[in-house]
Amino acid sequence: MTDDTFFDPHQRATIAAAMARMIPTDDVPGAAEAGTIDFLDRYLSGPGYVYAAPDGDGFETLTGRRLEAWTRRIAVVRERYVAGVELLDAAARRRGADFVDLGPEAQDQVLREVERPEGREEEADLARSQVTLYGAPVEVALQQTSAEVDLGFLPLLALHTRQGFYADPVYGGNRDHVGWQVIGFPGPASLAEVHQGLYTTIDYFADNRVHPGTED
Amino acid sequence: MTTTRHDRTDVLIIGAGASGATAAKVLTERGLRVVALEKGPWRTKETFSGDELASINRYDLWPDPLLNPRTHRTGADQPATEQLFCPVPQMVGGGTVHWQGWLPRFTEDDFRFHSVVGGVPGASLADWPITYAELEPYYTAVEWAFGVSGQAGANAFESFRSKGYPCPPMPMSRYAEKYHAGASALGWNSFPTPQAALSQPFDGRPATVLSAFAQQHGDPTGTRSSALNVFVPHAVATGRYDLRPDSYVREITVDERGRARGAVYEDAQGTLHEQRADVVVLACGAVETARLMLLSTSARHPHGLANDNDLVGRNVTFHEFSSAVATFDDPVYAWAGGGYVSASSFQFYAHDDDRGFAGGGHMASSGVGIPLPINWTMPDRPAWGAEAKRIDRELFNHSMAASMVVHDLPQHDNRVDLDDTVVDDWGLPVARITLTPHENDLAMGRFLIDRSAEIMEAAGATSVQRVYPERVTGNCSHQHGTTRMGDDPATSVLDRDCRAHTVDNLFVVDGGSFPTGTGANPTLTIMANAWRVADRIADGRDARTTS
Ligand SMILES: Cc1cc2nc3c(=O)[nH]c(=O)nc-3n(C[C@H](O)[C@H](O)[C@H](O)COP(=O)(O)OP(=O)(O)OC[C@H]3O[C@@H](n4cnc5c(N)ncnc54)[C@H](O)[C@@H]3O)c2cc1C
Repeated sequence: MTDDTFFDPHQRATIAAAMARMIPTDDVPGAAEAGTIDFLDRYLSGPGYVYAAPDGDGFETLTGRRLEAWTRRIAVVRERYVAGVELLDAAARRRGADFVDLGPEAQDQVLREVERPEGREEEADLARSQVTLYGAPVEVALQQTSAEVDLGFLPLLALHTRQGFYADPVYGGNRDHVGWQVIGFPGPASLAEVHQGLYTTIDYFADNRVHPGTED
Repeated sequence: MTTTRHDRTDVLIIGAGASGATAAKVLTERGLRVVALEKGPWRTKETFSGDELASINRYDLWPDPLLNPRTHRTGADQPATEQLFCPVPQMVGGGTVHWQGWLPRFTEDDFRFHSVVGGVPGASLADWPITYAELEPYYTAVEWAFGVSGQAGANAFESFRSKGYPCPPMPMSRYAEKYHAGASALGWNSFPTPQAALSQPFDGRPATVLSAFAQQHGDPTGTRSSALNVFVPHAVATGRYDLRPDSYVREITVDERGRARGAVYEDAQGTLHEQRADVVVLACGAVETARLMLLSTSARHPHGLANDNDLVGRNVTFHEFSSAVATFDDPVYAWAGGGYVSASSFQFYAHDDDRGFAGGGHMASSGVGIPLPINWTMPDRPAWGAEAKRIDRELFNHSMAASMVVHDLPQHDNRVDLDDTVVDDWGLPVARITLTPHENDLAMGRFLIDRSAEIMEAAGATSVQRVYPERVTGNCSHQHGTTRMGDDPATSVLDRDCRAHTVDNLFVVDGGSFPTGTGANPTLTIMANAWRVADRIADGRDARTTS
């Protein structure tokens, strides 16, 4: 293993299995094929992979307050994952195996149990509503209003799986752009393309692009 | 220890966002020397990218809530919780760094809202001390400096304008096309949303490439207009603009007579300085300006600067942005161009007694939430699993939002003050927001969402979900009203020129001066008003030097 990882092999296998339930593989690729675990493992390795350089060439070196904030954030998130793996295994063992060794159905059940622990539903709802858009219930997309450290294990896992599936491949997930292909997002070939002003979405505009009254 | 900079300047501007940069441009071009203190960095377009993860999820541009928290509560008897309420980028350019830049004008009635609707119980309505006619030349000035893309005359409910838009409207997106189709099927007026982006080359800048990475992303191409790439360069070109980034103002200082003397700020190394000036201009955004005034206590201003009436921070309004979310059989690609190259309607903007509530709001089409994959979202979508994936696949290219801006009413007890426990990373008490929506806000929200849903249905949507705003969340980053202007010093903080009634060399140019928040995106008006106030400041200076 290189320095760019955080999980031990069991933790890594467990989280990879859980991510494969977050965005399952069906007739098209899911989290497993996109390499979301690589995305997450590297993120948790330390503040060296927080911001890709704007042209995609390497990563920014954080300093000062930003470095402190990200060091703090990653430390909290690591704890959540370590505890999360234990929770998953504890719940799985009541079914007779470690989480990684359960079938998909049973894994889903365990995840739902961990998401809504008996007697703590309110807490789970709160954690999730903090990342809500439109004030609608139960949304996982991270908006600007969440500090990430205020999310529980399950919302974090769902969020990071989504990030690893859909973020630019420079972050280690979305391998070969499979995440974008799955939903039909014609993203740029690379960050450099956007940076140089070469990436355009004009082909996805209306056939008649001119507003009535402004034709020549 | 505080070092005093003895290079006293004509004008000190706190904040280099939309309003501060406008004031800097005008003042320096009129010959005044300006020092500007900006809390955040001075970034160039080369540091921006099409990186959704960094820009939206990881606070590369948003303020990091671990460093810059705020708190929110629904009433003075409720506990306040940490929440990044109404965040705006803290850096040179402020909120214009990663906006899409919808720039509608307010209407004549907005400036006399109290007179038009009469009193509303529970609301602290007030007419503006200035009129649309007074501001009109400044609207034109900002539109022409920015190269706004729009179509004069297309908004049937617009008030008079002295000049058309400098650039034609943006190309038509598929989601704008749906919106126009729905509105016209109902016989309602719609128009291309005026936008701070160049539909054609303008003033030495090329036309926009229509990247998907716009709203909430910095613009690496320089084709979207902002305070950072228009007003700041204008001010710099005069040679009279000393802009100091990474300079966090902790306090406005006063002299023995209680006039503003300057500001104490902390630089990137943590060293404190005091910069002195003849005139001090606050441009931190309505929330942070109020906070800074409340932090600036002195013998002459024991309750905070210019706060003898306990009005600083009160009457705050935030708007609320919510939507009817529609799906269509044919693709609408609601992320194209950044998801907000839109169509608008002012059909229900003007007040109408028959609706049973006061006022109305701007309605417009947009992407679904944040229309890029990571943050793309549908109401009630499950957080994970096969169903979540199915929805992503089926609807990502087929759904859009018909949105609206709520004209929330000012209330005396809705306010910004200082939190009594939470401090920011610099050790200063953070802004605490106390906010209860008025029944009028909720009724208007329901009404406008219903109309938006009708537009989507008329456009042939296969399903429409109404997301009524049940509260005001600060999600559209509009803020106003904390230092309202008025002619009566007993009921306002600033006079008609946005000068503090009780501190005659202190001005506020951000949205804090708005007596009412109106139902439209505020920043064109914030910048037009900042331009007007800067003109008044320069006029005053000219009058003194010639007399
Ligand atoms: C994603 C997004 C999209 C938006 N889209 C639109 C839109 O389409 N149309 C529209 O009209 N509006 C839009 N807005 C709102 C718009 O950005 C704001 O209305 C506008 O920026 C307010 O201008 P301002 O000058 O009052 O404050 P800002 O632009 O926020 O500038 C304030 C500046 O002051 C600095 N500051 C604060 N405190 C201190 C201190 N103590 N010392 C030194 N500096 C300080 C801050 O760092 C900041 O740079 C959008 C906002 C966001 C975030």
